[in-house]
This record gives sequence, structure tokens and C-alpha cells, in this order.
Amino acid sequence: MGLRTAVSTSTGLAFAALQYLAAAGLVAYVAGDSAWISIGVAGLLALLAWGFFGELNGMFPTAAAIRRYMGQAMDDRVALSITFTYLTTIVLVVAADAFIVGAALTHVLHVPAGLTTLWTLVLLGLAVGSNLRGVKVAGWVQDVATTLVLTVTAVVSVVALARSGTPLHTPLQPFHHRSGTDFVESVALGIFLYSAFEWVTTNAEEVRDPRHIHRAMFLAVCILFAVCAVMTTAMSHLLDHGQLTSPYPQLPLGERAFGGTGVWLMTAITAITAVNTFNGGFVTASRFLYATAREGSLPPVLARLNDRAVPWVPVVALGVASFSVAVVVEVVGGSEWQVLVAMGAALEAMIYAVAAFCVLRLRGRLADHHRPFRVPLVRVLAVLGIVVFGFLGVVASVSVSNRFDPVPLVIILVLGAASGVYTVRVVPRLRAAELERRAAVRPRRRPPSGGRGPGTDAVAGPGPAP
Amino acid sequence: MATADELAEAYGDWRGRCNANPRLAKMLRGWDRTVHLVTSDTGEGYTLSVAGSVLGELRSGLVGAPDLVVTATSEDFTDLFWGDLNPSEKYLNGEIVLAGSSEDVMRLDAMSMVAFLDQ
Repeated sequence: MGLRTAVSTSTGLAFAALQYLAAAGLVAYVAGDSAWISIGVAGLLALLAWGFFGELNGMFPTAAAIRRYMGQAMDDRVALSITFTYLTTIVLVVAADAFIVGAALTHVLHVPAGLTTLWTLVLLGLAVGSNLRGVKVAGWVQDVATTLVLTVTAVVSVVALARSGTPLHTPLQPFHHRSGTDFVESVALGIFLYSAFEWVTTNAEEVRDPRHIHRAMFLAVCILFAVCAVMTTAMSHLLDHGQLTSPYPQLPLGERAFGGTGVWLMTAITAITAVNTFNGGFVTASRFLYATAREGSLPPVLARLNDRAVPWVPVVALGVASFSVAVVVEVVGGSEWQVLVAMGAALEAMIYAVAAFCVLRLRGRLADHHRPFRVPLVRVLAVLGIVVFGFLGVVASVSVSNRFDPVPLVIILVLGAASGVYTVRVVPRLRAAELERRAAVRPRRRPPSGGRGPGTDAVAGPGPAP
Repeated sequence: MATADELAEAYGDWRGRCNANPRLAKMLRGWDRTVHLVTSDTGEGYTLSVAGSVLGELRSGLVGAPDLVVTATSEDFTDLFWGDLNPSEKYLNGEIVLAGSSEDVMRLDAMSMVAFLDQ
């Protein structure tokens, strides 16, 4: 994997269809014409997170990095609980993208709203099916898809602005008719626009040059700022409240730029973003669940492979979970997808705070570990990261549509508690049962040899049973 | 530290198991790859290749351009080939280091698992 593909992977994973709704929500509820300033501040904070992930990825250049650095920095049970909770972001984003593409199709085809569920089912079915068949989007396809999505979104936004013929209202006044709290909320939401840029670290073993991951994340944050800033400015200037709060604000934006053709164009672009999300989300999450099951921290059934060496149980489970969330969002109706945005923003801020903590803790615990990139002024910046991201995570988790709403926080706490209980109560039993079973039925196969060094007779880890 | 002979013996056993497993033959269809094994403790290199769903002999030295590079101690390689070690656990602990595509890593792990567990 070269730098270009690493950049497109990082940017493509972050730029999901949900970003259109998140950007519109930010404009509609908190930031108005000055939304780009909130996005810029969120971008600077994302660069802070980039520093943390850069140092951690440099120390552990592996797909399992999150397990490695969290396991080293804190109690393994806490690390596992946080990781499981964080994984739910993938389900949320995949579910939201399927729903958004379904809603957009229903809108442009002028068919009954109930068909959105059918489109969602078909889309997720296709994603699950292609994953089970081992189909993975090639690097060059991902490059083209991401470039197309970002370029078209930016061009549509600029053309729509140019055709409006009226100047911006308050492009440099983030506090115009807004309070400081509104601005903080908009920054918290803005974090979500960059969410998942760090998932590219799971490709660390695939890059030709280890430095590509670090550079790619930086470039991705810059590109995301540019595209999201121009998109929100156009949305703020041209769309009314009803359009901004719909599940497809990008479609009227396309219409303002290119008329009916623009609507179809943005529908196609929305569908392409889903391809990126489904490809990255399903592969990343299913492989992580597989590896964790192989390690003995999840039920062994999650490590079952089909004839194409795909862990089919995690793939199907992710598809079912995503479909369930999408149906709930559709059934509840209204702008409940904003709950998903708030949860995503809160979980993302949480993982940034955790990354800051890990950087700080590992500077002490693994002081001599090789670090190709080091965060400067680490004591100041890491503490700043923990405080700021922790605070923004809490703000995001209780803010839905610019009003106090604890639903996202409650859901996150329930998910976190469930993960914690599972990790503390179930995982030790799973591991003990597996060790016991293996010890009972599986003698060591390797023949004894005089040529081996001392202390090597014990089995290093639980070996596979027959 | 395992000797080269011990490692070769273990590999021979694993190879026999893999090539005799009909499920693995299906899994490896179309997956023709060259894998380099590097022992971190002895500094030796080995090459294994898969062609036509068949695992070839272990060659000494790093031959050809690899699709996947696996680095571990000679002990871990030997235990892995005997099926006495869970490579996923070692990988998550950072004791086995990989360089290659995630798809290739999955196939290699599938070989180590299916050869013994047939899951």
C-alpha cells in the first residue's frame, strides 16, 4: 500500500454518508454560517489526536495496535471493555450509512417511505454477501471512489454557492445569535466529521513505508477540513431548516448546484461513500472479532471460517446488528439519526482521550521503546488531550439537536457496562475453560529435543485442540 | 532456541497436515503466495510457497519477492508448526510480527488453525 492509498483509506473511512447529516446538523443547530470555524477547531483537535495515534502506531505498527498499547497502558480488562465499546461505532456508522442511502433512494425514486427498510436490507445483504465471498475493494478502486466522493462534494458545494448570488451572512461570527455553549457543542459535533481517520492504523502491516500511515492521517485531516468546511458553508447558506434536518441534506445541495442532475449525482455519491464504509467497517470489525476470539476473549464460534477464509459469524452478526439499528432509527423516525451522530462523536472523543492517556502512560512504562514519532511537550499536550476530549465527549453525549438529551450517554453507559461485565465475568471463564479443555484433550505434540534451550518446555500459550 | 533441523521437522509435519486437509485445499484455492519466515533470535531466513492449494517444501534463505513476511523466534515457529502455540495470541502480544496484506495474514492464520482444529 502506497501513500496515496493510505490517504484515501484514512479519508474514505472518515467520510461516510453520515457526515452529510452530521455537517447539516452542525449547521442547523449550533454554528450557522460560521460552522467552518467549529470544523476548523475540531480539525486542530483531530491533529492533536493525530499526534497521539502517530506515536502509538509508530511504537506498535500492527493491526492489533489498539490491543497492544491499551493492554500495556492499563488493566487488560479495562482495555478490552473500552475496545468493545469503541467497536460499536462501526456498527452505528454502517447502520446509519445503509439507512441514509436507503432514504435517499426512496426520495429520488418517489416510492413509499416503507421501502427504505427494503433498500437498507438489500444494501446490507450485498455488503454481507460480498464480504462472505471474500470480496475486498482493491486499493485503486478505493482511491478512485474516495477521490470522486470528495471532489464531487466540494465541486457541488462551490458551484451551489457560486450560483446563489448572495453573500454569506455571518461567515466570521461564530457567536452571532449563539452562546459559548453552542460553540462548544458544535466543536464536539465537529469531532465526528473526522471520526475514523485513525482506523488506517490497522493497515500498518500493509504499507510499503511505515511513515505512510502517519503522513496519511495528517493529510486526511487536512482534506476532511477543506471538504467539510466548504460543504457546511454551502449547506448553511442555501438550505432551509427542513432540508437541513432531513436524512439527505446533500440531495437538495446537489439540486442547487446542478438541478435534477445534481440530485442523482449526489445520490450516486452517497451510495459510493457506503461502499467505502461497508468495505472498511466490515473488514476491520470482523477481523478484530476473529482475532479476539482466537485469543480466547470471545466465544470460539466467532473464529469459525468459511471456505474463503472469512470469519463468517462476525460478518453475519455485524450485518444483523447494523440492520437492527437502522430499522430502529427508521421506526422511531424524526431526526433520531442525530442520536447516532452524538454517540459517534462521544465515542470518538472518548477514544482520543484514551489515546492521549496511553501516550502519557507509556512514556513512563515503556520509556526505552522505539518511537519513530514523538509527541512534543507530551506532559502538556497529553493532559490537554485527556481533559479536552473527555469534556467534549461528555458534551456530545448529552446534546442532540442542540438540546439536552441524555439518551446517547445512557446508551453508551449501557454498552460500556455490558462490555465491562462481559470482560470481568465471562472472559476469565472462557479463557479458563479453553485452557482446561486443551490441557485435558491435547498433549503437547512437539517431541522433546536436547537441542532446545532451558525453560522452553512449557507451552507458551494455549495451543489449538485436535 | 530451536535448531534449523527442529524447525524443518516441525514444518514437515505441518505441511503434511495442511496438504492432507481437504478443507484447506478449498480455502487455499487461487491463493498462490510466497512467504518469508525470519527468525528473530537466530537471524535465519526461510521461504515457503503455496501453489495450486499445495504447501511446498521449506527452503533455507529468503527466496524471491515475498507476499508476506513473518518474524518470530525459532522456538515460536517450531511450536507453531507442531500446533503447540496459538499464533493469534502471540500476534496480539507482539511476539509474532507480520508484514503483508490482511487477506494474506488471514489465510496463513487459517492454515495454522484449520490444520489442527478444522474449524
